[in-house]
Amino acid sequence: MQIFFQTLIGGVSLGAVYALVALGFSLVYRTMGLVNFSHGNVVMIGAYMASTFYLTAKLPFALATVIAMAVTGLIGVIIERVLRPLENKDFDLMLIGTIGFGIVLEALATLVWGATGRAVPSPVPAAPLDLFGIKVRTYDLVVLAIAAAATALLMLFLQRTKRGAAMQAVAMDHEAATAVGIHVGRSNAIAFVLGAALAALAGSLVGPLLYVSPTMGGTLGIKGFAGAILGGFGSIPGAIAGGIAIGVLDSFAAGHFQGYSELVTFLVFTILIVIRPTGIFGERTVNRA
Amino acid sequence: MRTRATALRAGGLLILAVIGWLLPYQLDSYSIHVVDVMIVFALLAIGLGLAMGIAGQINLAQVAFFGVAAYATAILTTKAGYGFWTSAILALAAAAAFGLVVGLPALRIQSHYLGIVTLGLALAFTNWATNATITGGAEGISGIAGPILPGIDLSSEYLYYYLELIVFAIALAFGLFVVHTPLGRRMRAMRDDALAAGAIGAEVPALRMTAFLLASVYGGLAGVLYAGLIRYVAPETFSIANMFFLLAMVIIGGRQSLVGCVVGAAGLTLVRELLADYPTYAQIAYGTVVVLTVVFAPTGLAGIPARLRSTASRLGWTRQPAAAGTAALGPFEPYTAAQPVDSDTRRTEPILAIDNIDMSFRGLQALRGVQLTVAPGEIRGIVGPNGSGKTTLFNVISGLYKPTGGTVHVSGRNLTGASSHRLARVGIARTFQNLRLFGQLTVRDNILVALDDTRTYQAWRYLLWPFGIWRHDRNLRTAADEILTRYGLAAFGDALPGALPYGIQRRAEIARAMARRPRLLLLDEPAAGLNGEETRQLSEIVRSIRATGVTVIVIEHNMSLVMSLCERITVLAGGTVIAEGTPAEVAQAPQVIEAYLGDSDLSHDVPAPVPTEIAS
Repeated sequence: MQIFFQTLIGGVSLGAVYALVALGFSLVYRTMGLVNFSHGNVVMIGAYMASTFYLTAKLPFALATVIAMAVTGLIGVIIERVLRPLENKDFDLMLIGTIGFGIVLEALATLVWGATGRAVPSPVPAAPLDLFGIKVRTYDLVVLAIAAAATALLMLFLQRTKRGAAMQAVAMDHEAATAVGIHVGRSNAIAFVLGAALAALAGSLVGPLLYVSPTMGGTLGIKGFAGAILGGFGSIPGAIAGGIAIGVLDSFAAGHFQGYSELVTFLVFTILIVIRPTGIFGERTVNRA
Repeated sequence: MRTRATALRAGGLLILAVIGWLLPYQLDSYSIHVVDVMIVFALLAIGLGLAMGIAGQINLAQVAFFGVAAYATAILTTKAGYGFWTSAILALAAAAAFGLVVGLPALRIQSHYLGIVTLGLALAFTNWATNATITGGAEGISGIAGPILPGIDLSSEYLYYYLELIVFAIALAFGLFVVHTPLGRRMRAMRDDALAAGAIGAEVPALRMTAFLLASVYGGLAGVLYAGLIRYVAPETFSIANMFFLLAMVIIGGRQSLVGCVVGAAGLTLVRELLADYPTYAQIAYGTVVVLTVVFAPTGLAGIPARLRSTASRLGWTRQPAAAGTAALGPFEPYTAAQPVDSDTRRTEPILAIDNIDMSFRGLQALRGVQLTVAPGEIRGIVGPNGSGKTTLFNVISGLYKPTGGTVHVSGRNLTGASSHRLARVGIARTFQNLRLFGQLTVRDNILVALDDTRTYQAWRYLLWPFGIWRHDRNLRTAADEILTRYGLAAFGDALPGALPYGIQRRAEIARAMARRPRLLLLDEPAAGLNGEETRQLSEIVRSIRATGVTVIVIEHNMSLVMSLCERITVLAGGTVIAEGTPAEVAQAPQVIEAYLGDSDLSHDVPAPVPTEIAS
């Protein structure tokens, strides 16, 4: 039983990072109907940025994270601007276009930071807490708290601000939104910037949990995407639930099947998605595909 | 003209064959190795092009099909002691089986969902190959036995080239044959519009599986040849990075053209080889080219000649062909022989009997207890205000929706909830309110898809009796030309539907539906957007179609057309039938006047833009 809870806690913590990645996927998708396959690579860039400012420039971890978010936000603007001609037109081409961006980002990271990768020490060095005999790393709690705060802020933005409401409107019907005077292009750009910033947040948080390398984006992106779909693509609560579900699934698969954890995770994911394509919460917007 | 083009093409092929045959004499031992690898990638790219470009199935597991066959060859030759050729056949079977398993999710999900699932399964395969003992783990398997042919030393990469060349030529020719004959045409139709493809009898689920089967067999061929060439397999060859490299080949070359895929594969393999010392820069280069291709040249290298041609004709450099804009819609030639299609059935039995149909979408009840009985040979009108459930009713009849209650009988057979392609085979054809012609297929191809009645399982004939397929295709083409002429569309056979005026597209859609030789034709607002003369022609066409014994049900807002054309009219309002009878009876029914004409704004005279009533 103790092992069970230990595995669960580890899974939830990694799942919180997947949830942040999934949130970025869902935010972009619900606003502009685009699946950004380069999202995982943006996470990777964010992880490198944050670790560079934290380790090399010796900035505080929080500040390093904010700078990383700003840089990836800029990358988000560029991706959105280049692919704008395809928006609301050819879905599959756009998807492939973002894969192209992902390839470029991975190569750029290899050029700048080398192919070997680096380990990032935890910014909160305290000893693990002991809760009823289960050891909980303090950093795991930090990750959970930040992920929860980011989600709450995003929800507030979408539901309480005029700009957020405009983005919701674009998500429902971009033509009607244009008709009432919403700048759809700007709305899409904001979604992309927010998504990319969330990616950097996820990246900087995952640095101390995993090893930072140019290829980390592939797996993180695919698992985050799987989380978003499992929860119900385009749904904010779905992204959180799905991301954590994938994290827990991953953690138990690693515990029981060791090296084969990825095989098990993706087989289970495939079966779940075939049984229920709309995910836990159902797709929020009408199927745009 | 035609013979000259054929002669040119044959000459070009001959030259290519000679170049292919003489190529090894010009190359050193390293270059021939690069060419050998290039051919393997070209085979992979053809498979990916068939799945993605032709059938529209996002397949990010192509590299795993490649891997399954390569590993199967390696394991069977080194561990089980089979010879290369036996192993090759078993490996191909393994790849095909794996392809069918990976394709299964495509029956339920499409587009980006399919992308992530296939990518996940590809990762699962690499994960297995890296960890299992039978695959040799991360070290892989070396010492694979190569192929042996009496009298030919295939361990020489020069002679291996000829083996690859022959396999490649056959594989490419077979792929092109599939694309340009009924099976490939149906897959392209499914890619453009899966719903409309089902409605004209294409078995969409079987076609999706066929697409994955083809992709995996091509991947398998590549895997077997790779194992025989390199004699060593390791997990990194089948990584996601190589999957994306393969995707780049297909996108840059042009995914909808198999030749384009081959060119893309050859080009990218060469570039990677030239930049072998700078792999990271090569990666940046091909990633950038993918993005640029997607934005500026979505049809890839293969699409460039067509784009140049259209630019040239726009600038007036070449003579304008008598196509699209200039030619006029020809007159309709009425059907002559008025033979009833189903003379054997008792004429009293209704061709369509709908009993107590309910249809609701998450709480919204679109149809409530609808009754409708249509006698053979009748022209039935269905009218009603917008949102009264007319198109929903059509979608239930043609199998796009499964009703939540009630039954549908066609000529006495209970076909409630049958799939749209099954209903199409029973003899129901339809047109769509918002026009659903296959956008990337010419008007002739649109008709050809509808004409073809072979089942997907008969595709085995492609392997065993291609000549029969070829003859069948030739017969279809003759029939298509007849239909094009009958509907006055002869001048537009080679045009893409999107380039044609609205009235011509409407006519083409009726022609496509009639190419099915249906017993029951459903027309959804056929006069919408037509001018007075076109509407008059439409009325003539519908009467002529009925004269051949086809029953016609028509949804229409143009009241004068409905009143003059239909023998009986059913009026829907709020999802229920509120009146039925002859035009005169219906026009005088008080409940109709209240629901329909009683509206102060006379809603039927204002053709408001109707939102798509068919979920996509």
